[in-house]
Parts: sequence; C-alpha cells; structure tokens
Amino acid sequence: MSGTLAWAVVALGLAVVVVRRRSVAVGLVTVQALLLAGVAMAEASNTDDLGAAFALAVRGVALAALFLVIVSRTREPGPVRAGVAPFARAGVAVGLALAFTWLVPSIGLESSQSERAMLALVAFGAAIVATRRATLHQLLGIVMVENGLVLGAIELPGGASLAVELGVALDLTLIAIVAVVFHERIFAEFGSGDTAVLETLRD
Amino acid sequence: MTSREALALAVVGLPTLTAILVAVVPRRVVQPVALAGLVLSGLVAIALGIVALGDPSAPEVSDWVVIDAAAGLMVGVIGLVGLASALASPAYLHSTPSGLFGQAHGTRAYYAALAAFVAVLTAVPLAGNLGAAWLLVEATTAASAILVGFSGKPRALEAGWKYLLLTSLGLGFSLLGIVLLASVTPGGTLDVLSWRSLSADVPAGETTLVAFLLVVVGLAAKIGWAPVHNWLPDAHSEAPPPVSALLSAALLPAVLLVAWRVERALEPAVGESTGRTVLIGFGLVSLGVAVPFLWRPLAWKRLLAYSSLEHMGVIALGIGFGTPLALAGVAVHIAGHAVAKALGFYAATPLLGHEPRAAGHAVTGIARTQPALGTTMGISLGALAGLPPSPLFLSEILVIAGGFDAGRPWAAAAAAVLLALGFVGLAHALVETTGGSTRRRERANAPGLRSVVAFGAAATVILLALAGAAFWLPDTDIVEALVRGVG
Repeated sequence: MSGTLAWAVVALGLAVVVVRRRSVAVGLVTVQALLLAGVAMAEASNTDDLGAAFALAVRGVALAALFLVIVSRTREPGPVRAGVAPFARAGVAVGLALAFTWLVPSIGLESSQSERAMLALVAFGAAIVATRRATLHQLLGIVMVENGLVLGAIELPGGASLAVELGVALDLTLIAIVAVVFHERIFAEFGSGDTAVLETLRD
Repeated sequence: MTSREALALAVVGLPTLTAILVAVVPRRVVQPVALAGLVLSGLVAIALGIVALGDPSAPEVSDWVVIDAAAGLMVGVIGLVGLASALASPAYLHSTPSGLFGQAHGTRAYYAALAAFVAVLTAVPLAGNLGAAWLLVEATTAASAILVGFSGKPRALEAGWKYLLLTSLGLGFSLLGIVLLASVTPGGTLDVLSWRSLSADVPAGETTLVAFLLVVVGLAAKIGWAPVHNWLPDAHSEAPPPVSALLSAALLPAVLLVAWRVERALEPAVGESTGRTVLIGFGLVSLGVAVPFLWRPLAWKRLLAYSSLEHMGVIALGIGFGTPLALAGVAVHIAGHAVAKALGFYAATPLLGHEPRAAGHAVTGIARTQPALGTTMGISLGALAGLPPSPLFLSEILVIAGGFDAGRPWAAAAAAVLLALGFVGLAHALVETTGGSTRRRERANAPGLRSVVAFGAAATVILLALAGAAFWLPDTDIVEALVRGVG
C-alpha cells in the first residue's frame, strides 16, 4: 500500500471522529472500507486473495446500505450531541494514535506507513466509542477498529491475511446486525439513539 | 473418525441444527423442538466431557480441533448448564414476554438465539487454533447480546448495548494482538496460530510480548476480569435468568480457557513468569474489585454477577499459579461454580414472581415467606460463599495452597485475605436473604418453583460429589493432563 493511500485512509478515519451527521460518517467509513478492498484486490496474488477482497467490498457496501436504511428509519430531531467537542475528540484520537505508535513495536508489515495507519485506525475507533454518544457513531467506531485490522491483514505477509479478512467480514456483519436491532429498539423506547439515556445501571 | 471427533462434531452440530429447525418449524412446536434439541445436545456434551476426562492422557490435538482434559471439562460444564437452562426457559418465557421481538416472535427468537449461542459456546473450548477461537468468541457475543436484551426493557437494552460494544471493542484489541502474532511468526499461514505452532514457532521479543498482552487484555474484557469488567454486572443482572446462568457458568470460563491456552502457548516466547504474573494480576484485581460489592445489599442477580467477578478472579489465580494443586482447584472451581451459580440464577424466575422488588433491590427473608425457594437460594449462595462442605471451599484452599507451592506466597496470602472478606460479605447476604425480617408475601406466586427445587436437589448432589472429588483429584491423570496442556 502506498504511503498516500495509507494516509488517505487515516484522514477519512479522523474525519469520522469529528463529523456530526450520521449519514456523512457512514459514507466516510464506507469509502474507507472500499479503498481497503481496492488495495486488497490490487495486491491479490491468487484467487483466494481476490475472493477475500471481494468479500471485503461486499461487506463495506452491505453495511453502508444497512446503516443508511437505519438512519432513514430512525430520524433524530437534531444531531445527537457528542458530549466532547469535535477538536477535543480529534485531540483524544490523535493522542491515542500516537500512544499506540509509541507503545507497539514494529511488526514487519510491508511498509511502516501501513503499520502506523493500522494503529491510527484502531485508536480512532476506540476514541469514537469512548467520546461519541450516538449509538450509530459508536457502532461506526467498532467498524473503524476492524477496518484498521483489515489494513494490517492485507499487508501481512503469507496466507493468514485471507482468514483474518474473511473472519473480520463475517464477524463484523453479525455484530452490526445485532447492534442495529438494539439501535432500533433503543430509538423506539427512548425516541433517540443517544446513549446518554442509557445510564441507569450503576452501583 | 474417532469417537471423540464424532462426539465433538455432534455437540456443535446438534444445537446448530436445533437453531435452524426452531427458525422454520410451525410456532406451536417451537418450544418442544427446541427443548428436545437442547437437551440432546447437553447430554452429548456431557458424554464428550466424560470421555475426554476418562482418558485424559490421550488427547486429540490437531491444528483446528483439540479434545483434551480442559476441553472435556468445559464442554461437560457447558452441556450441563445448557441442558438445565433449556429446561428452565419455559417458566421464564411464560412469566416474561419479549419486548425486543414482540409477543408473536419472542419464543422462536429466544430459542433460536439460545441454540445458536450454545452451539458456538460449545465450540470455543474445542478450538485448536487462536484465530478460530477468536472468531467463535466473537460469535458468542452476537448470539448472547440478543438474549441479554430479550425482555426489551430499558435496563436490558442498556445492558445489552454495553455488552455488545465493550466486548466487541475488547475483542478488536485481541485481534490486533493476533495480527501482531501472525506477523512475527514464520510460515505466514493461519496454521501458525494453532496452539502447538504458537508454542513452538513464535519468537521471543517485544512484539510478541505486546501481542500477548493485547490478546489477553482483549479476552479479559469478555471474561469480565477487572478492571475491564464494566458490562458484566449489567448483562448478568438484566439477561433472562437461564441466559444469565449460561453467561456466568459457561461463557466466562470458556473464554478464560482460551486465555489460559494463549498464556501456555506463548510461555516459551514471553517467559513463564511474565505470562503467569499477568494472570495473577487479573485475578487479584478482580477479587479486590468484587469484594466491596459483595458487602453491599444488592439485588439478587446483581449480587450473583459480582460473585462471578470474584470467582473468575479465583480461576485466574489458579491458572496463574499453575501448579498441580492449583489446577486441581481450578477444575473443581469451574464445575462447582457452574452448578451453584446456575442454580442461583434459575431461582431468580420464581423469586421475581414472589417478590417483584427483587429485580432492583436486595430482598430479605425469602425462606420465611417461601421456604422451598429460600432453601434453594441458600444452597446456591452458601456454595458460592465457600461455606463447607461446598466444593468451592476446597477448591479455594487448593488454589491458595498451589500459590504457596508455586513460590508466590504474597499473592496467595493476598488472595486468602480477599476470599475471607468475600466470604463474610456473601455469608451476611445469605443470612439476610433467606432468614432476615420481611413483610408478608403471597407464597403461591413463584413461577417455575417446582423445577427450581428439582434443580436444587440435583445441584446439591453434584456439589457434594465435587467436594468429594476435590480430595482425590490432585493426584490424578486429569490434573497431570491440565499441567501438560495442549503441547
């Protein structure tokens, strides 16, 4: 993967951290997933790799369709406030990414940019889950973490990447379907997908 | 195909088939089909457990499947709890309609998700490969989250969402660790993630150490080890009681077995002392976090949930100490905790009918207003507290003795103090819950009480048998096999 492409994927991730609208965030994550699928296809050396890349692309499109349907079915009266300001969110995300880059030693992917991009996406995903209150944004945080892992898997030498890519595609689809069931029910119960309403269970 | 392989195929295939059948059969036969399938699955799983533990010196290990003593123990436990949870489900479904799926589809959705959950859960201990184990553990999240939020009540939705999100994020970090391991291991195919290959081929180095920590910390989020346990009390207290039993008695130790296999496989690369110290650290922190909550008056299921945190801490200590004594304690503890904890959760269905305030508050004097229910709850809580002759009393002694035997006297002593404090908290809860002063209640209103009393009688027999087994287990081939591991 070229350095430019790696940093484009990271920039898309950072944009998801700061954007307000759910539909825009879904679009950005989908473009990110399709870019990764494109890289996987370009770097495929056999039919198995091509199959995995195709599965990634299908996963990206299917999740986008699912999320956009959900956005249209659960219209919020206004964007759900994040609780943390956009610049602060970006600061948390970048700080976490730098910490990961510092803590995790070099792992021998095909380029050092790919390693850093992978860690940045994992950090951004974790930051989104921690700082956003909208259920759909939190779910997109999980998708972002898995996109980072897909990036790592694509750049992994050997045949393990195929299994990781397919595993992530299958697993993420399952988790997303269950999360969407919860999102819809939470919206029906509370009239909003804001997790601030889900804070009754405390000891 | 050997008899073990055939049984292993059946224990995963039968609940899978049940889930499919439940999804397509006419509504009036959903429950009979589900119960028949799940009971049969449970019996086959118990049979596999008996076969694997009966000849522990001849495990079957391949790159994808492992059927050894540890897997046999866990599959047997999952079979037993899965069977009992299936039988406890009709009373729950009769008393609580589904808000998540509606009246029309609730029963079908419940049994389909339950059977799917049992299928993937049973496969977890049999996975011979870290990649496959990760995938199965993540699949348990999808199946069980639906069940946690089944009632559709706001608190259940909150618990289910938190469970789904936090465990998925944790497992994401685990997968990052797996990618790191795959990157440093020569070979480059998925076979390098088999337990034997990890043990033989992963080179020592800081990348391996970071990978090990990521995998274990990610799994800890699913096991419910403190300090990454936040979802556990909520999910266990808000899930349907038969599902809470499966989560606590079967899911947590099954994932813990994966963490143990990871530690054992990577010991040559990260060092025995480092790997075991991480597990002991999680064990002590979990005990330390759980004990203050055991002293507080908590709603019944929430009390049981914090007790799960305590007991997962004990098991972490046992595998961290890693001596034959400690591992004998671990084996008894996993089985004893499963039986006592499942019984406690099953008692929640009649308890909530008898005293609806029990959903959110500590209740007292249940034995005064409903003696059979109070006695059953007392058996469960007494066993979980480690009140002799509970097998958990003996298993905790074995684990602590194993700690001294392993040359970790400070950790063993700290564990002993924390367990003593936890015992006092649970013993107080036992006295108050069963015999404390109370107002009048309607005795007859306790749905599913008859089956819970039957479970209580069976559980008492099993617990006493386990207490007896704790005396001879340390010198057996089973413990020798546990010490040896997959390698």
